[in-house]
Amino acid sequence: MNSPPRLRVYVCTWLALMALLAGTFTLAHFRIGGLNTALGLAIAAVKVLLVGLFFMHLKRASALVAIFAGAALVWIAILFGLSGTDYATRHPSPAPWTAPDGH
Amino acid sequence: MSARAPSPEAIAWRRETASLGMWIFLATEVMFFGVLFLAYFHWRVHDPDGWAAASRLTHEWLGTLNTALLLTSSLTMALAVRAGWLGRRRAVPPLLWTTAALGLAFIGVKAVEYTLEWRDGLVPALHFTYSGENARAVQEFFYLYFAMTGVHALHLAIGVGLVAWAAVRLREPPTELSRRDTVECLGLYWHFVDAIWIVLYPLIYLVGLAR
Amino acid sequence: MSAVRDAVPGSYLTEGFTLRSWLTTRDHKRIAILYAVAITFFFFLGGAAAALIRLELATPAGDLVSADTYNKLFTIHGVVMVWFFLIPSIPSTLGNFLVPLMIGSREVAFPRLNLLSWYIYVLGGAFTVATLIAGGVDTGWTFYTPFSTLFSNTHVVAAAAGVFIVGFSSILTGLNFIVTVHRMRAPGMTWFRLPLMVWALYATSLILVLATPVLAMTLTLMALERVLHVGIFDPALGGDPLLFQHLFWFYSHPAVYIMVLPAMGVVSEIITCFARKKVFGYKFMAYAILGIAAFGFLVWGHHMFVSGQSMYAGMVFSMLSFMVAVPSAIKVFNWTATLYKGSIVFTAPMLYALGFIGLFTIGGMTGLYLATLAVDVHLTDTYFVVAHFHYIMVGGTVMAYLGGIHYWWPKITGRMYPEAWGRVAALAIFFGFNLTFFPQYLLGYLGMPRRYHEYSPDLQLLNVLSSGGASILAVGYLLPLVYLGWSIFKGAPATANPWHAKGLEWTVPSPPPKENFAVPPAVDEAPYGYDPEEVVR
Repeated sequence: MNSPPRLRVYVCTWLALMALLAGTFTLAHFRIGGLNTALGLAIAAVKVLLVGLFFMHLKRASALVAIFAGAALVWIAILFGLSGTDYATRHPSPAPWTAPDGH
Repeated sequence: MSARAPSPEAIAWRRETASLGMWIFLATEVMFFGVLFLAYFHWRVHDPDGWAAASRLTHEWLGTLNTALLLTSSLTMALAVRAGWLGRRRAVPPLLWTTAALGLAFIGVKAVEYTLEWRDGLVPALHFTYSGENARAVQEFFYLYFAMTGVHALHLAIGVGLVAWAAVRLREPPTELSRRDTVECLGLYWHFVDAIWIVLYPLIYLVGLAR
Repeated sequence: MSAVRDAVPGSYLTEGFTLRSWLTTRDHKRIAILYAVAITFFFFLGGAAAALIRLELATPAGDLVSADTYNKLFTIHGVVMVWFFLIPSIPSTLGNFLVPLMIGSREVAFPRLNLLSWYIYVLGGAFTVATLIAGGVDTGWTFYTPFSTLFSNTHVVAAAAGVFIVGFSSILTGLNFIVTVHRMRAPGMTWFRLPLMVWALYATSLILVLATPVLAMTLTLMALERVLHVGIFDPALGGDPLLFQHLFWFYSHPAVYIMVLPAMGVVSEIITCFARKKVFGYKFMAYAILGIAAFGFLVWGHHMFVSGQSMYAGMVFSMLSFMVAVPSAIKVFNWTATLYKGSIVFTAPMLYALGFIGLFTIGGMTGLYLATLAVDVHLTDTYFVVAHFHYIMVGGTVMAYLGGIHYWWPKITGRMYPEAWGRVAALAIFFGFNLTFFPQYLLGYLGMPRRYHEYSPDLQLLNVLSSGGASILAVGYLLPLVYLGWSIFKGAPATANPWHAKGLEWTVPSPPPKENFAVPPAVDEAPYGYDPEEVVR
């Protein structure tokens, strides 16, 4: 692995990132309900993947490096997921002095 | 362990070792930022309408411009790493300087944004005068906005400093046989800061835009 | 420093005698000693707080200190013992010294980062000592909101800053170990030929690296909220105090595995040597270590059963907490099986290791009571919990730490400690420890709450027993300080392998030369090649 990726790879990645940026900005203006968030996050995920695979050379990296990159995401998922078991199932009972909006 | 003329294998070994160290450091940074993202999502799920109203108060054109600047800086940084890899030493400092300049431009735009937000009375604890219907959500949103973009900007500023330092150091012929590891590790850090912003951008600027 | 000059010439101890040579060293062995000195100071600082606590609790009335002062005492005891003693103890001292030796390397991957981690530790420690001198902090080591953010009148931000800073010392140490173990093993040192100590420190490092950053950001948010009066934990602003607890315990539960996994590594090394028998089920031991590290991240909600967390989350965390006990139990079974039909020698390190197995088992089993939702409702925030975690942290980790110090003392210093005194201290500590903490299980069962400076008079007998035990424990801890210090000057010179142990660290002189190995070793056999039939005296 003595030669880096071709210049084209980097430029095409950049072009794709800019296109996705334009896309996500445009899409955000359309009223599509829950899809707004889902698509916005999905596009962000793709952008991160592009940066990771091509700019950070994850595509050519050893399995060890890929595992550490993935582990961080898995561990964040644990934080979100298990806290989620609390937040998804907790039904707050507001005290009488709390404002009517429930918070 | 004195290596007067390290072999190519030793150089490659050292570079991969430094790279592994940097990836582990980036994993710690993911966990560090992750806390803020959890706080963000906790709030957003709790009060989606308030959150959307708050997000509409951000300057999405400046945010989009900033994203474009940072994505481009990642390109120039990656090209700097590539030039170093190919042995084109003279090409590396200009690419690094461009990267640093784009990073500085990002920080400049951020400063403009923060000034606008101050003018609009949207800075919690310091100058917060918003009193509309969703005041509580707006205050929480902007608390997290300043926390997340502030921590991000701090990381970016450190990155700019390190990139500038590397650009200066690389003007002279390297005393070690390869400074490739330094630039490559810096590149990983820089792309990571970019990646954090990529996720931050839709969460901050694009929430309530579809009326 | 004639003691050092008398040491084997050409060892890491004789490479420069100036203070500067120590403070600018990149030698992992010297950095280990720098850490050992620092954490010993903090151990006795935290111990002093404990002494005052036990003195107060000898009588039911709150007559020694005020309630506020008592709050500051248990807070500083917790903060100092957790972050400035237990977490760095084995990894930063024994780990730093031994990991390169055990894998056949000359150094760690990033020696300068290693030294930096020590300076960061000292800086964090300075913040904590300054906090103490300025009047202390009274939130408990857990810094729960809203007390920490809204109501405490003590130096919360300074204390949090000290912990924030020392966290980076942990992160750098963990990062260094992970890269070192991956990249610097000697030829032939495959993963399944590594000593279990290295497996344990590797798994600990994974936790250090993934969990500590969460604590750093959480404490930052808590401090910001205290200073700015806006934030995400205050219900009046729409925030959630439980969010703090989720974030805090996401780190702090894995933190207890940071504290116990290295201890398990030490125990494996000691048991196998002094039973003259290879570890039973080596692969299961290694997988159990990784399992504990990974699973330990999934159980944090068991600290929050009565906090207001959803009942369903409680059930999930309770079930996961039961499951995390399994790999630990596997290790206890395997140590026992290692001892079975071994040729056991009751040296001081072995006494500590055997004590660990028993006390860790008791502590672990009482953890299962606490993991049971319905039972925890009654036991939480009582002395039952205090006893549980002290059985593991003190009966477990501290005893393993002392066992490891004694076991590797000849290697580190080139001197033998006096064996008779070593055994006396080990037995005093074991006896004193049980007298201190076993009554606390009963006190908790009887309902005595923790973090109160007074209690119902009918509980006095058990409290007096506990305080009496603490005084014996204190003597037990002071003894090694005396005879180990003495041995540095007057102890018998140690050979390279006084215990006739297996392992690469025993193939180099005692103390080792700066570069560890004159010739890089090549490994071609499984670890722990002991033979119980072989007579070594």
